[in-house]
Amino acid sequence: MAGLSLGALPHFIYQPIWVAIIFIAMIFWRIMAIRHFWPLPTKQISSFKLIHLAIAGIAFVLLFISYGNLIGRDAGVALLTVMLSLKVVEIRNHRDYYISCFLGYFLVVTNFFYSQNIPTALLMFIVVIIMTASLISLNDSKKSLSNKGLIKLASSMLLQAIPLMLLLFVLFPRIAGPLWGLPQDAHSGKSGIDDSMTLGKISQLILSDEIAFRVRFKDQIPAQSQLYWRGPVLWQTDGITWTELNKRHVMSHRPDFTTSGNEYAYTITLEPHNKRWLFALDFPSEPPLTPASHYTYDGQLRSIKPINQRQQIRLRSYSQFSLNPKQDDVINNALQLPDKLHPRTRQLAQTWQQQSSQPTELINKALAYFNQNDFYYTLTPPVLTGDTIDRFLFESRRGFCEHYAASFTVLMRAAGVPARIVTGYLGGEINPVDGFLVVRQRDAHAWVEVWLEDQGWIRIDPTSAVSPQRIDQGISTIMPEGFNTPLLMASSRQLIDLWHTIRTNWDALDNAWNQWILAYGPELQKEVLQKLGMTKPDWQTMALWLAMGFVLVSLLISFYLFYHRPRYDPVSQLYSTFCKKAARAGCVRPKQQGPLDFARALKQGYPHLSQQIDHITELYINLHFGKQTVSMSDLRFAIKQFKFTPSN
Amino acid sequence: MTQYLSQLYQRLNAVRGRRVFIIPTRFGFIYAGFLILILLGAINYSNSLGHVLCFLLVSMGWVAMHHSYRNVAKIEFINAYANPVFAGQAIKFNLLFENRCHRTSYQIELTSKQSKSRSWNPFERLGGFAHNYTITQLKAGDTITVHYPVPSLRRGYQSLGQIRIASQFPLGLYHTWSYFTSDTKVLVYPQPLGALALPLSKDSGDQITDPTQKGNDDFSGLNTYRAGDPLRAIAWKALARDDVFRIKQFTGYQGGQLMLSWDAVAQVADHEARLSQLCKWILQADEAGIDYGLNLPNRFINYGYGDVHRHHCLTALALFDNE
Repeated sequence: MAGLSLGALPHFIYQPIWVAIIFIAMIFWRIMAIRHFWPLPTKQISSFKLIHLAIAGIAFVLLFISYGNLIGRDAGVALLTVMLSLKVVEIRNHRDYYISCFLGYFLVVTNFFYSQNIPTALLMFIVVIIMTASLISLNDSKKSLSNKGLIKLASSMLLQAIPLMLLLFVLFPRIAGPLWGLPQDAHSGKSGIDDSMTLGKISQLILSDEIAFRVRFKDQIPAQSQLYWRGPVLWQTDGITWTELNKRHVMSHRPDFTTSGNEYAYTITLEPHNKRWLFALDFPSEPPLTPASHYTYDGQLRSIKPINQRQQIRLRSYSQFSLNPKQDDVINNALQLPDKLHPRTRQLAQTWQQQSSQPTELINKALAYFNQNDFYYTLTPPVLTGDTIDRFLFESRRGFCEHYAASFTVLMRAAGVPARIVTGYLGGEINPVDGFLVVRQRDAHAWVEVWLEDQGWIRIDPTSAVSPQRIDQGISTIMPEGFNTPLLMASSRQLIDLWHTIRTNWDALDNAWNQWILAYGPELQKEVLQKLGMTKPDWQTMALWLAMGFVLVSLLISFYLFYHRPRYDPVSQLYSTFCKKAARAGCVRPKQQGPLDFARALKQGYPHLSQQIDHITELYINLHFGKQTVSMSDLRFAIKQFKFTPSN
Repeated sequence: MTQYLSQLYQRLNAVRGRRVFIIPTRFGFIYAGFLILILLGAINYSNSLGHVLCFLLVSMGWVAMHHSYRNVAKIEFINAYANPVFAGQAIKFNLLFENRCHRTSYQIELTSKQSKSRSWNPFERLGGFAHNYTITQLKAGDTITVHYPVPSLRRGYQSLGQIRIASQFPLGLYHTWSYFTSDTKVLVYPQPLGALALPLSKDSGDQITDPTQKGNDDFSGLNTYRAGDPLRAIAWKALARDDVFRIKQFTGYQGGQLMLSWDAVAQVADHEARLSQLCKWILQADEAGIDYGLNLPNRFINYGYGDVHRHHCLTALALFDNE
């Protein structure tokens, strides 16, 4: 029952409060029934049966109200939790007990839909130990094992099971899922960059410490200011919200681009975000092999299927690129502005346009405008209402990357320069423990691309004009000191450093966990097995290895269970050499014969040796049965000297 | 064919020693079913920890199999003994078991089967086995004496037959069992039955009225114990006083001597019923303190008294005409 409760515990976080209430109430009922003989719902006492049924009925109605149906991930899990708790009260015989235990395992599995991190795995092991212990106690009808003994036996069984589990984990042929359709809500609730941008939205992400992806560079890591991770490109705006260019036929074309400069090869481990875009270092030279993906015309990489599980993506990027240098129809979309909005911004842009002959001059004017006026980069900008762009540029002047990117784009478009917003991440933090670059949600960023004739789309980051720190050193310099540190630890510098060290180590462990345990699928399995020396990792070979492993592990377990090193004391050992000597001479000592009887038997065969036989026997008896007046060396010497010489 | 297999099995058995059988229980199969469901779920959702849990549980099942085997494999049957009983009474077997493993065994269920031949079919699990007894715990190296009642069938020697030890410990996922065959034979006396009275008057011609003859009624003093004296005559109080076994001597009505002969029960129709009648008479005579003898067509036992004599006579009845 404790196992069930533990198994259900994490679910309370994801499920409505009443599920937890029913569960706890049922467990309480059962405990009270055991401790204080509260009545349980049985056929005899119909009123309690009725209460039980009523609770079940209410639970189902609540389920239906909360989820609308009983199919789907969340509803299914809630249903299982409630049913199991109702079952707990009803357990009457062995069968009920077993079924509850097995359903408890199911509950643990469902937990993995929400979280698969290390603590969850540890919880799983604890639950399995407790369940096993309760199964043992069920089979130990007279309770000859104490609770401690039960847990000890269960834990030792678990430890013995682990080698086999690892073997199965590595060698069991993995099949790529899904086998059947997943429920609609199978992958909901993943946060990350969206395909639209409303001022103020990215700054919500900024407060999130969640990891977006991790990168392992093959050789060198580019400078922090070059780590632009390209995500969705936003073209269209209604003055408040920016969205992607929704023209599939255009978007699915490969853009016209050339790359040059430094080459970077790297592997991204992308956390699932349930969207189709991938994040690549600006600018990737080829779409990756897995997952199956393609370019969009504005230079994004898109997967064919949504990324709903952790993915390893191998990419190659170049530091310099020229994107769509030729004029085309699509560019007109980068000039679109909502009618009659942002009058002041338009006015400013038009003044600049008249003053400058070149688009580059315009860009510089705009950047200078941000730089020389009292613009501030802040994580907590004031909430803007009405014409957000105008109010930001001329009134509040406090904002975040998205504010700068959006207003810069509007300025450019108003001045007749094609411009678009690129969202993604900037920078990342290198974990010194394992050398991975960790990009978190708080590294989310937005910048601008403008189109210049013959040069194509060029990256302009207006934020750099206001806060060069953000670009050069990453987001953490902008964050207040002690951000995301537990409150108590934020008080001293050393504690903050300590916290940082713990966190980087934990991250590295977590990363290794993700890279090797959670990402272990058909591809990784193939790779690992090839490294292990399996030349052809098909399922027959795996089955063969698995069978061999099973035999080996079984032998080990049997050996552990049955082999018991006989602990002879040195005295007995000496005596047994004497017995062996006798056996070689033809006098085998029967198992149950005592030393005195044996001596008597020996003396009959070898009367001339009776004195020595008596001496040895006496020494042995004295040593073995407590009298320490004689020394062991005497016995050793006597036995060594002794020879069965036949009498003449 | 069956016979051939049976022989083959016994020969194999002689080579390898005792066999331990193991098959999953109902819950074992349900467990396997659940594991398959978990595996399918894990594959469908590409859930790595789901795989881990599934494999962990598979491994637990596998380890449990070894534990289950271990629990039974090293329990050895040492011997069995039981006192003779009358037909119809339960034979109270004392079975001696030893745990030869260095680990404790739990929940060993004992059953026996009244058949002489050992079955070669390992799946013959419950058929013919009855009378449960459970050894809840047997520590490493310990021996245990199990009092195990078996109904007696008919007079003569009855062997214990086949004993099965079985266990589902630790997880109840496997049923593990093993057989022993015991050669121990227990004598079953005939059932003491019959309506005829003790034939006293006929045969009491040479009644002895010597008061020094030992009788059962009046206490006359103590005498030192000699082997063969009835246990019930031991003076326990006197023993507690000075640690010497003494026998209470009685004088009084002397039952005299009585020959119980086959002819005396000739009027009883059935062969077995005659033996039952004789058996009853022996008990009655023994109770009454009469010296009695037994005269059967192929066996003559002279006058005597005491537990040994009684056993002697009853044995003769039990084995009478028994091929």
